[in-house]
Amino acid sequence: MKIDKETFNSFDLVGKDLSNRGYNSSHAGNLSMKSGGKIIITRRSAMLGWLQPEDLVVIDLEEEDAHSGLIASTESNVHRNIYKHTDAMAIVHAHAPATTALSMIEDEITCIDGEGMFLYKKIPVVECDIPVGSYEVAEKVAPALQNYPAIVVRAHGVFAKGVTLEDALGVLTGVEQAADIIYRVKLLGQPLKRDYSKEKGFTNW
Amino acid sequence: MKGLFNKIIEVNLNDRSHQVINIADEVYENYLGGRGLGVKLFTDRVPPTVDPFSPENILVFTIGPVTGTSVSTSGRMSLVTKSPLTGTIFYSNTGGIFGFSMKRCGIDGIIIEGKSEKPCYIVIDGNKGLEIKDADELWGLDTEATYDKLKELEGEKVRTLEIGPAGENQVRLASIMNDASRAFGRGGVGAIMGSKNLKAIAVINGKQKTEVDNPELLKNYAKSALDKIKALPVTRSALPLFGTAGVLHVTNSLGMLPIRNFKYGQHEKAPLIGGEAIRKEILVKTEACYGCTIRCGRLTEAGSMKGKGPEYETVWSLGANCEIFNLIKITQANYHCNKLGLDTISMGVTISCAMELQDKGLFPYKEVKFGNEDVLSELVIKTAKKEGIGAELAEGSKRLAEKYGDAETAIHVKGLELPAYDPRGAMGHALGYATSNRGGCHLTGYMAAMEIFNAPKKIPRFTIGGKPDLLVLKQNQSAIEDSLVNCKFSGYALGFDYQARFVSAITGLDFNVTRLLEIGERIYNLERIFNIGAGFSNADDKLPERFENEPFKEGLSKDRVVPIKEMLSDYYRVRGWDENGVPKKEKLQELGLK
Ligand code: SF4
Repeated sequence: MKIDKETFNSFDLVGKDLSNRGYNSSHAGNLSMKSGGKIIITRRSAMLGWLQPEDLVVIDLEEEDAHSGLIASTESNVHRNIYKHTDAMAIVHAHAPATTALSMIEDEITCIDGEGMFLYKKIPVVECDIPVGSYEVAEKVAPALQNYPAIVVRAHGVFAKGVTLEDALGVLTGVEQAADIIYRVKLLGQPLKRDYSKEKGFTNW
Repeated sequence: MKGLFNKIIEVNLNDRSHQVINIADEVYENYLGGRGLGVKLFTDRVPPTVDPFSPENILVFTIGPVTGTSVSTSGRMSLVTKSPLTGTIFYSNTGGIFGFSMKRCGIDGIIIEGKSEKPCYIVIDGNKGLEIKDADELWGLDTEATYDKLKELEGEKVRTLEIGPAGENQVRLASIMNDASRAFGRGGVGAIMGSKNLKAIAVINGKQKTEVDNPELLKNYAKSALDKIKALPVTRSALPLFGTAGVLHVTNSLGMLPIRNFKYGQHEKAPLIGGEAIRKEILVKTEACYGCTIRCGRLTEAGSMKGKGPEYETVWSLGANCEIFNLIKITQANYHCNKLGLDTISMGVTISCAMELQDKGLFPYKEVKFGNEDVLSELVIKTAKKEGIGAELAEGSKRLAEKYGDAETAIHVKGLELPAYDPRGAMGHALGYATSNRGGCHLTGYMAAMEIFNAPKKIPRFTIGGKPDLLVLKQNQSAIEDSLVNCKFSGYALGFDYQARFVSAITGLDFNVTRLLEIGERIYNLERIFNIGAGFSNADDKLPERFENEPFKEGLSKDRVVPIKEMLSDYYRVRGWDENGVPKKEKLQELGLK
């Protein structure tokens, strides 16, 4: 399958943006999108800030193939399982620091700022014995993402879905922003004057 | 299943009998309600080769688990039949309050088969049950007069579905109106009612409530949805202020408002007939379907006439696409369509097709030319009556263009005239036209929402990569919205997970996004199988040639054509269909279809 220029540009743009934000170490994080019934995904250890055309790999949507095992991202089985069991059309994965930090002390992250409450409300936390690349991650992340735009794997990082890569990037950065605000409020060590999240009935969300 | 009654009334007009049938939970779990339930009941009963006008064709009107609940925009219902315009299975959707009122009578729908010997109408009375009555006093009346007469006969609070003279005369563009206000607009569904001598369906005195599994949770989700609807500019201000016709200003500026039967993509006079002009010049007040805060409906006054609309599609089809920019004349022609029971999109595009034929010297009626606003209303009236030239227009653009020897002049897919988004301006939307199970329809996938309005997410409009995949997702999602039944416009503000939350809170069952999408896929494949049985193939998944060969020379959509064949093979693969567009055995097995 040929990867057209516009598709590469969109991987390149999202990769650069993530790199500029410093969410990942130089060779970490991964991106993918569904196209023509296949998955286009970044190569294992690709530098997201300096993507080259050969850093994009086409793998099968249904099952493991040679490319996915040999050169595609370590998390390719997680991406595949998300596509098979959710409405994701694109996925961005990064080790966003504030969200990852909160995942170590919370069982779910409840947004408390206006934008976070409006867009996400809650970010589920998924715990795995082997939090990176394992089949366990693939099996636990997909169901958790069915009704949420993003989840965080405890002590690892965020998986965000979208209709395009840019959209998934928007979700991931939005979630990180919401987590960063919680993190800062915790640092302030003061109770909230008004906890809007308690008024909005998020408990059942 | 909670949220529904598991009951449908089956009416046979041959002998005017009826019976209540019980529907198993399993059917709802696999098809939900609305369109899904309708498609299941329809395909179980009707062979694909049925003649649409024969008594064996049936009409299936249904509501869904979300219809009439506290969810905003849920006052909708669905219809499934075989279309006399396209020959495909045809699903349609209407707003207003009829769906809610029918649900209050304790039924999930009504199936109508056979043909009455004499004109008749059906009354569903929440107190007395169902009765079939003679319609001598109604036959021949327009839709407004029919609604008024039914109020006189059955009581002020009656809610109605009715056809006008166009339906009675079996015009292939005939609609079914709803309280003479909203419409099952497309596909000539009104002609099917006409062919059965069925003038109207009335509901009254419904008092039953459906059980909701977790009312508190539903209230919570509905409130959150409303917060979003009130915050997003499209649903908060654009639709309430300018109605759907506000869209015209955007499509025109993007160079994808079809002008002169899809020859050009923009026109300097277009703003004269857009939502802003409607608001300034003819708006009396805004109106809404049951329980909706968006209020996209318009009550207007044009010259000495008053009525509903016009919608975006109408100011375009009867206006811009015919190179007519007189808002009053367009609005009056729109009123005539509503009163006579005609689909404004197909009516307008059939007229613009006739105008292009005339332009090419192929059509004998000289007065039917681009820009001639004075013929509009007259053509509409003659079409409804099948009088003179009207008898030719009554067949729709495909049959008209074929008769006059230039099939490519008709801008349609599978016989259904295309709506107001030029395919050259949005590639996913274009593929949606080619692959819609009911022909040239913008709502079956409605990629334009994302490609043009960035709602609820933004995707680039000219990109090809990934579009077939996204379209399949959107088509499956739309099948669900039509089955719940919820208005597509709520999708501008809400992510699809809201639909999953609503239906789970109502039914108490776990309908997560993935499960809903599988149901959407099942519905879509079942429709496709019916169409294949009716004689359709991959050869029909196409666009008129001009979209593949003739780019616009100006505007923001210039130099673009639609690589439909390239996208189509990917689309079939994503769907799990073979290269001929036939669902593979494994796919059907996976979906539990034969
Ligand atoms: S948005 Fe418009 S069409 Fe949809 S339910 Fe509301 S008033 Fe009806």
